[in-house]
Amino acid sequence: MAMIRLEALGRTFEVGGQQVRALDQVDLTIEAGEYLSIMGPSGSGKSTLLNVLGLLDTPSVGAYWLDGVNTSTMGDDQLAATRQAQIGFVFQSFHLVPRMTAAENVELPMLLAGIGGAERRERAHRSLAGVGLADRADHRPAQLSGGERQRVAIARAIVMQPRLLLADEPTGNLDTGSGAEIVRIMETLNERGLTLIVVTHDLQIGERARRRLRLRDGRVVEDLRAAQA
Amino acid sequence: MNGRELVRFATHSALSHRLRSVLTALGIGIGVTAVVLLTSMGEGLHRYVLEQFTQFGTNIIGINPGRSTTFGASTGIFGSVRPLTIDDAEALKRVPFVLNTVPVVQGTASVEGGGRERSTNISGVGPEFQTAFDFRVALGTFLPADDPRAPRPLAVLGAKMRHELYGERSPLGELLRVGGERYRVIGVMEPKGQVLGFDLDDTVYIPAARALELYNRQGLFEIDVLYDKAVPADEVVAGIERMIIARHGGLDVTITTQQQMLDVLGSVLDIVTFAVAALGGISLLVGGVGIFTIMTIAVRERTAEIGLLRAIGAGRAQIRAIFLGESILLAGIGGAGGLLVGGLTVVLLGVAVPALPVGIALPYVVAAEAVAVLIGLAAGVVPAQRAAALDPVEALRAE
Amino acid sequence: MTFGDCTRVAAGALLRYPLRTAMMLLATAIGVAAVLVLTALGEAARSFVTDEFRALGTHLLVVLPGKTETTGMGPGLMAGESPRDLTLDDARAVLRSRAVARVAPLVVGAATVSFGGLERDITVMGTTAAMVEIRQWRMATGEFLRDQDWDRASPECVLGDTLRRELFAGLQPVGHWLRVGDRRCRVAGVLAPQGMSIMANVDELVLMPVAAAQQLLNVPGLFRLLIQATGRETVAGAQRDVVRILKERHRGQEDVTVITQDAVLTTFDGIFGALTAALAGIAAVSLVVAGVLIMNVMLVAVSQRTAEIGLLKALGASRRQVTRLFLTEAMILAACGALAGLVLGYAALVLMRALYPDLAFEPPGWALAGACLVALGCGVGFGILPARRAARLDPIAALAGR
Repeated sequence: MAMIRLEALGRTFEVGGQQVRALDQVDLTIEAGEYLSIMGPSGSGKSTLLNVLGLLDTPSVGAYWLDGVNTSTMGDDQLAATRQAQIGFVFQSFHLVPRMTAAENVELPMLLAGIGGAERRERAHRSLAGVGLADRADHRPAQLSGGERQRVAIARAIVMQPRLLLADEPTGNLDTGSGAEIVRIMETLNERGLTLIVVTHDLQIGERARRRLRLRDGRVVEDLRAAQA
Repeated sequence: MNGRELVRFATHSALSHRLRSVLTALGIGIGVTAVVLLTSMGEGLHRYVLEQFTQFGTNIIGINPGRSTTFGASTGIFGSVRPLTIDDAEALKRVPFVLNTVPVVQGTASVEGGGRERSTNISGVGPEFQTAFDFRVALGTFLPADDPRAPRPLAVLGAKMRHELYGERSPLGELLRVGGERYRVIGVMEPKGQVLGFDLDDTVYIPAARALELYNRQGLFEIDVLYDKAVPADEVVAGIERMIIARHGGLDVTITTQQQMLDVLGSVLDIVTFAVAALGGISLLVGGVGIFTIMTIAVRERTAEIGLLRAIGAGRAQIRAIFLGESILLAGIGGAGGLLVGGLTVVLLGVAVPALPVGIALPYVVAAEAVAVLIGLAAGVVPAQRAAALDPVEALRAE
Repeated sequence: MTFGDCTRVAAGALLRYPLRTAMMLLATAIGVAAVLVLTALGEAARSFVTDEFRALGTHLLVVLPGKTETTGMGPGLMAGESPRDLTLDDARAVLRSRAVARVAPLVVGAATVSFGGLERDITVMGTTAAMVEIRQWRMATGEFLRDQDWDRASPECVLGDTLRRELFAGLQPVGHWLRVGDRRCRVAGVLAPQGMSIMANVDELVLMPVAAAQQLLNVPGLFRLLIQATGRETVAGAQRDVVRILKERHRGQEDVTVITQDAVLTTFDGIFGALTAALAGIAAVSLVVAGVLIMNVMLVAVSQRTAEIGLLKALGASRRQVTRLFLTEAMILAACGALAGLVLGYAALVLMRALYPDLAFEPPGWALAGACLVALGCGVGFGILPARRAARLDPIAALAGR
């Protein structure tokens, strides 16, 4: 069974009284463990697709099957619980809570899940160590470089051991060196079996993915699979 | 920026955070409403009490036997070495500017009439009582001007006593036993209602000399002196004192002018109103804390805007004026809303519960709004100062 | 999310804005402190008045001559005049009741007292030896009125403390002869200072044997009877007996009014209780204002922390969790504010006690609990709107900071 299956999925927004089709008739199947990049010009619907995949947004028409479950049957709480357990997010602007230390930021999802303090600290530490930031655990975001912040965000995204990692322009706010480091970390995670979906404008990054999706005006116009896949 | 533009600017920025501004103003509004309501009740009480006291006129002087005031009033009415007599009351009529004197004896007695018996208040008074205190007779006449030392046994009923004993029947000419003595009913008073908790209608009026006999007393409780309004009370009091000294060989009575009573009562009630206003003021204070908090937040949020304004040539004084203006505006509008709500509630209360004495205390209403604006000013000073002190370069970078 | 975690996160959020948090605490604290101080004032007034009444003695009844059926207390009744006087024989008869322990007949009036060229207008009280036991007066020097035949108008008197100072500055008054009105009497004793009492300022009294006072004031009857019942549970029985005995003696007419100390106490208790409650209510209005402030600032916080809320949602926080988080913040504010208010209020009370050591400033328990509950209630009640607003935020828009 495919991990993700989209059937004739559409998402329309109302902007200034006009219907805008952000996604239109998208059919897509993604298997567990895939490494997928989504590219396309601004306004092509990349971010909307990622939000739908991450259960942050719900489709206007069509169906989204996640592990064989139709997500349109899920209530708000169930969506939240699924996000918590299955999906990790990495954002362009990191979205770290400024008043919390790196470790506390990583602990946040476990906090929401009601995991006890000792286990939280232990797992957060391991997760931070996994992205090479064991010595930065007690720093606040303001004391970290851009690349370090994004690594904290990745540590946070994977600390619940999700099956799906969604990254929205993860390198957009970073210099080339840091960006490459972030991509390397995510690819390592993918090699260990995590399904990785990256939205990006950056061709160099996009083309590293084994499967490349190109969107235009809300439609999938290209779905390429790299040879070695 | 002139005053009007400042107001427009402040209004505009207040409107851009509508809910926040409404809530901020609401804090002040609740405080002002509380002040208006509470002072209205204080004022209502004030008016009510004064009305009760002045309905008998303000040109009355009371004379009680004895000079000690240990019990608040003179204890002389309970007994005194030198009693006040009906002759004293007659003599006092000769004091300059005195229009009339009313001897008073009070007590309770069992009264029989119309086949029924009641224990009730007895007022032994002179015939002048009715005109002096402006009591109206509903039926018949009041006590006639008999020889004050040996009046005929005639009685006048209070409205409630008449009803209790005779129902709807006319009691005129009926026989009435007061403490066993026979009286003839010659009149019924119009209902007067309660005065400070005492029911004036639950009374039988008989001549003072008869009441002295009934209670086996030597002296009167009180002589009430009605004097010419045009003359200062002090002058009349001096005349009364001379007369009492001449007759008693010393000033062994307590003289209280109605005006003194009113002054004392008035100042007490003023303190009450002030106290409740102060209590309502606590909420205003809390509302002020609210304005301060919100203005501080506003300055922090609008740091970039302040930077921009400075960049395009706004001076520190102008920045200060903008934020102070906004703070005052919020407080002023909140206060005005509070006045409106408070005032409406008072009016509605007056209509819905007419028995409740309420009256808008205008000085306090004005003061409440003034205090609200002042609170706006005070709460705005520190945030406005902070806004004015921002470094424009830093502020612009805040975005 | 556990309660502890929730609290920690909420507290962390609050600490990031110390000034506004402090202001919200201050607002709540002012309200709670106001409730505390005002109810303590009301309570102090209540206990002052009721203590004064208790100080009059225990298990007391007062008999007034006269009775009105419709009005209750009227001017005629206060004056205490009735066609049939209360007499010393009435007072003696009352002692027949087994529920009655002591009776003191009272006559009161105004007179002039003079000694050594000094003159004072004072209140004379005629009574008997039982009075000192009923009222539990202490003597400064000498003896109280002798326990003798009530009809004996022996020429003796007892002075209040103020009179001693005014007439006998520096002199020992016991044994001296005073002129009271047209009579002379020997000073038998001086009362210890009693201070202000509700009934009368005892320090300014001259006490004489009841028969002497009746002759002096030329009154045949008595002003009041002060009766002490044998115990708390016999007060009602004593009241019934007194009414019955006097009715028998007055040819079947019930022409006296008997008031028990307990009834008066209950009345005063009720009046002052209502006053205290009203004061608490007025003070509680400021708690509502504080609640409005909390709501306002929380709304600001929700809009400022939109991105954070979006992140929480992306990380799998349910609406309920977000709601709980913000409600917890409001609760913490209210609870800490209430706590600060208690500290502030008690500090004010310590000051007030230092200024007026005679008054018992002690806020009633219900006001303490009520103030804290109202503060918490306001916190939660006014926190609901911001919390719901936070929970309803669309995560995508929130993440974008919109």
